[in-house]
Amino acid sequence: MKFCSPEGRTLPLSIGFAARPKSLEGLRVGLLDNTKAPVDKMMLHITKRLREKHPGMEIFSASKKVASVGADPQILQNLRLNCDVVINALGD
Amino acid sequence: MLLISTSFTALARGQAKNLGMPDLPTVVLPHPLGGTSLDSVLAKVDKQFDEIIDRLTTPLKPATAGQGKVNTASEWIELAASDEWGGLQREFMARGWGDGLPLVPPSEARVAAMVGGAGLPAEHIVGVVAPKMGVATVELIAANAVMAGCIPAHMPVLIAAVQAMVEPQFNLYGCQATTHCVAPLLIVSGPLAKALNINSGSGCFGPGPWANGVIGRAIRLILLNIGGARPGEIDKATMGHPGKFSYCIAEDETSVAWPALRVERGYGGETSAVTVVGGEAPHNINDHEATSGGGLITTICGSMAESGQNSVYYTAEPLLILGPEHAQTIAADGFSKDDVKKAIYDDARIPLNRFSPEIIERRLYRRMDMRYKNRGPGVMVTVAQRWEDVMVIVAGGPGKHSMWVPTFGATRSVTRPILKADGTPWLPGDLTEL
Repeated sequence: MKFCSPEGRTLPLSIGFAARPKSLEGLRVGLLDNTKAPVDKMMLHITKRLREKHPGMEIFSASKKVASVGADPQILQNLRLNCDVVINALGD
Repeated sequence: MLLISTSFTALARGQAKNLGMPDLPTVVLPHPLGGTSLDSVLAKVDKQFDEIIDRLTTPLKPATAGQGKVNTASEWIELAASDEWGGLQREFMARGWGDGLPLVPPSEARVAAMVGGAGLPAEHIVGVVAPKMGVATVELIAANAVMAGCIPAHMPVLIAAVQAMVEPQFNLYGCQATTHCVAPLLIVSGPLAKALNINSGSGCFGPGPWANGVIGRAIRLILLNIGGARPGEIDKATMGHPGKFSYCIAEDETSVAWPALRVERGYGGETSAVTVVGGEAPHNINDHEATSGGGLITTICGSMAESGQNSVYYTAEPLLILGPEHAQTIAADGFSKDDVKKAIYDDARIPLNRFSPEIIERRLYRRMDMRYKNRGPGVMVTVAQRWEDVMVIVAGGPGKHSMWVPTFGATRSVTRPILKADGTPWLPGDLTEL
């Protein structure tokens, strides 16, 4: 006997990634904080460690308004314009 | 690159895949990160710092951005269960299809009959259900409705509810994946509620021979099966609540002469509507003693002033469900519905010293700087950011109880009219055989 799978199909999405750099030297690194504890302090620490390793590195920090909603499109656009790579930290 | 904790690995990787980024690099830190000493968290970061650098600089498989063609054809599976009922139930359970309760088998005949109740083509797309980004066709909604025990006449309500849940402001993505206990509460208003035997009276949140149970259950199965919110994997609710099995009531529009929720949202007359509210379980408010509206409102405000609710951190819409006797007492003393909302905004307030120092600093001062900072230790925290955000409806039977439902907070309720394909309202006489 045949039954309908209740799961169905998913939207066939595909995102193309930017090419990865060989090194972070001289690059602009974005840090996106989702506001959950203690991501802000983790990000400060990562900033410190990155700058120790790559003194000339530019760091661009951004924060979502709230953790439970996607990042504001303007934040994403700023990260896109100002960063070569981005770290998004989730906490919990 | 994603920095995540072990307990959320399945969610993060599953979401990356659902959004078209299956190869998104991740670094996994040992859970938990929140609620622990900062030194221990930074030690975890230090231990894996080189891995963070590595993930940022390792080449990825090339992928092309874009969206492929959407497949709206349902998948039909041949099952040869050894015994018709028990064997099928075990098979469904093994496939992860259900909510743990027995399921009505979605056979071709039952699904076709259910589709017939919608007045729409089987392959019509009603919405895309997060977080799996599942394509909710009429036929797929019908299959889940069959499994929940619905009848074809319930389809118009289910379709309007799915339309409401996929509106961006409802934030279904957040509701489905959060550690908060949120479940969509369906409030059905208008003539269809009575015609479909959706209970607005005694025990409306509980069991009984009415449609509340199966309609609410169908919505949960849609969220589980089409939306992919498997508990513990993608649905990260720390505990959830019983409304995640089924959460549906009708609104009592007649006990007091206040505008119904659907009317407040612009749908009056013959137009029935369904409102979805991302809510916690209902909290009881007992006042058998008050003889005045003002007295009842005092008890209600005291009950709603809880510090652990999400409503205080977001632009939330706490929902008050007045029992008809409480509502009549309040209305008889001259209070309008808006008066009740304003009173809740003004008087359901929580002293700052009922919050942990970390909540005060991180959630109230930092996130709501303009609202609370520099106002001293005597500041009182509101349960809504504007009085208009408080929702008030009437439901329940005789007795001196009301209830209130705190929401997820990062969600806004959405009301959708229950309309036919031609844009006119579904009327009781239009429904397929009840």
